[in-house]
Amino acid sequence: MNQILIVFLKELREALRDRRTLLRVSLPGLLMGPLMLFMLSMLVAQFEKQAEQREILVAGVAQAPTLVNYLQRQNFSVKEAPADYERQLREATLGQAVLVVPPDFENALARGAELELEVVTDSANTRASASGGGVARLVRGFNEERARLQLMLRGVSPELLSPVGLTERDLASPGARAARITGIIPMFVIMAVLYGALTAALDTTSGERERQSLEPLLANPVPHGALVLGKWLAVALMGAVVAALASFSFLPAQLLIKSDALAAQFRFGWADAASFALLLLPVAAAMGALLMAVAIRTKTFKEAQASANLVIMVFSLMPLIAIMNPGADAAWHYWLPGLGQYQQMMQLLKGETLRLDQWGPPLLSAALIIAAGMAYVARAMRAAASR
Amino acid sequence: MITIDRISKRFKTASQRQPGWAGWLGRRQGGWVEAVREVSLSAGDGRITGLLGANGAGKTTSLRMLAGLFRPEAGAIAVDGVDVLRQPRQALARMGILGDAHGLYPRLTARENIVYFGQLQGLSAAAASRRAEELAELLELGAILDRRAEGFSQGERMKTALARALVHDPANIVLDEPTNGLDVLATRSLRGALRTLAREQGKCIVFSTHIMQEVEYLCDEVVVVAQGRSVARGSVDELKQQAGCANFEDAFVALAFAPAREAA
Repeated sequence: MNQILIVFLKELREALRDRRTLLRVSLPGLLMGPLMLFMLSMLVAQFEKQAEQREILVAGVAQAPTLVNYLQRQNFSVKEAPADYERQLREATLGQAVLVVPPDFENALARGAELELEVVTDSANTRASASGGGVARLVRGFNEERARLQLMLRGVSPELLSPVGLTERDLASPGARAARITGIIPMFVIMAVLYGALTAALDTTSGERERQSLEPLLANPVPHGALVLGKWLAVALMGAVVAALASFSFLPAQLLIKSDALAAQFRFGWADAASFALLLLPVAAAMGALLMAVAIRTKTFKEAQASANLVIMVFSLMPLIAIMNPGADAAWHYWLPGLGQYQQMMQLLKGETLRLDQWGPPLLSAALIIAAGMAYVARAMRAAASR
Repeated sequence: MITIDRISKRFKTASQRQPGWAGWLGRRQGGWVEAVREVSLSAGDGRITGLLGANGAGKTTSLRMLAGLFRPEAGAIAVDGVDVLRQPRQALARMGILGDAHGLYPRLTARENIVYFGQLQGLSAAAASRRAEELAELLELGAILDRRAEGFSQGERMKTALARALVHDPANIVLDEPTNGLDVLATRSLRGALRTLAREQGKCIVFSTHIMQEVEYLCDEVVVVAQGRSVARGSVDELKQQAGCANFEDAFVALAFAPAREAA
């Protein structure tokens, strides 16, 4: 026990001394999430601002006084579109859809002739195409008003236009609705586990071989199991700490959210961050063991990095299994490291409590990986030194 | 007191596929290399015993078996009567080993490197630190004791590694080509330290080398190793007599390579 502690403290001290690598490794983990959040909120805020502005661009304002009158009654300010709006839309310098009015619109409307309006957007221009729907809704509203007036003039009840009414009822709790936005957090904090554990895992295994310090280390009268456990504890702690930092980094990151509606929906508090950090503990421990097992096979740090990349890639794809099949979380999901934690965190974000079959399997699978990894590293370490 | 009794060890060579399809389909076959055929030595306390042999004679492999890194196929090794194969940890506690590989932890200071191994040997941190200072005096390490090992010269690294191996004040000291890559001054100071350890502190020292001078300067007893066998033993003078040569180098060549010539 004492020997495990000695190894643990030494590995920890060495890992913390390497500040530059530590920083380089943990910064992406810590900043990526908040940065994504910031950019997402910028986009949403822009949409909101457009909606707030209630401005509509029309090509040919003078040709459609009746339409313009309707639009103004809906509290929209109508502006003439720039002459080269097509080019501007294509180049994405114009961020709004344009409603094009044909030349003889007003007369044709009065005559009751068949008429065609045109909404011009560019689907490659995100902002413009998003505003296209709003313009289309306005034109439908205008149509309906005209139709109701015509019917009333002919003495027919306008009710005939909508024989069936429709109201929507959303069963999702505010938490579940917010989880659509906070759902990006688990992806990032799960990856942070690897960022934290990677360097320490490689340094304590293949790094020890590369520096030729493994052989002298094994010349001490210490059971190999104690050496491996001490190293693993340090690796797991590094992973868990960076994961916790990543979880908590979303708390100050909320201040960066530019959109009020998004900020109101983004429900992520101290309790959530703390339970995330706790849920990530077993996966940090398991991935630490796995990375060590992969790295002990290689003679140099560089080789170890190459093989660790494979582990990282597979691990980072795990949450995608759930993201690609939304709403279909199967029991086996909870057995896979990474995927299980993703599902657990999503449950928490939806405001649900975890059932036994949701927190048991991830713990059990982590324990299995740790036991297998440790046994393997202890055996491989002797083989590595005696070659 | 270290006794090695007729140990042997063979290694599987890196297997190579046969060229063509047959190689991909068939099983890979590796040969065997006899690294150590039959090496024996008996090293007493207060004496320096040299393991002298050409490159690839089996010195390093023998010393690594003594350090318990792998088991010999046959034979026995005992340190102060403790069987290395049966009670490896008790045996390791009685030995200070400076092997062929002696890397330091670059982000730790020399003192921290030494204290870490001291703690693993069962010393308290304070006792290990005191011991580091004693050894720093013996090995002239004082100036670098609290510097990080990152920028150490070859000699500084070797001395730190030696101090690390001696931290628990072992009765037996095993060194594998300790003067490799050291300059004249560093070599001289290392020799001085070894002499002090054996003559004044009564340690049992076993070291391997391929340098004649070193053996002549230091060793009370020499074991000549050639092609995995210990072929001769005795003091430098006894070996010269045995070979009938006035020069020790000639004596070594005669002793180490005569059997091979006879065999051929």
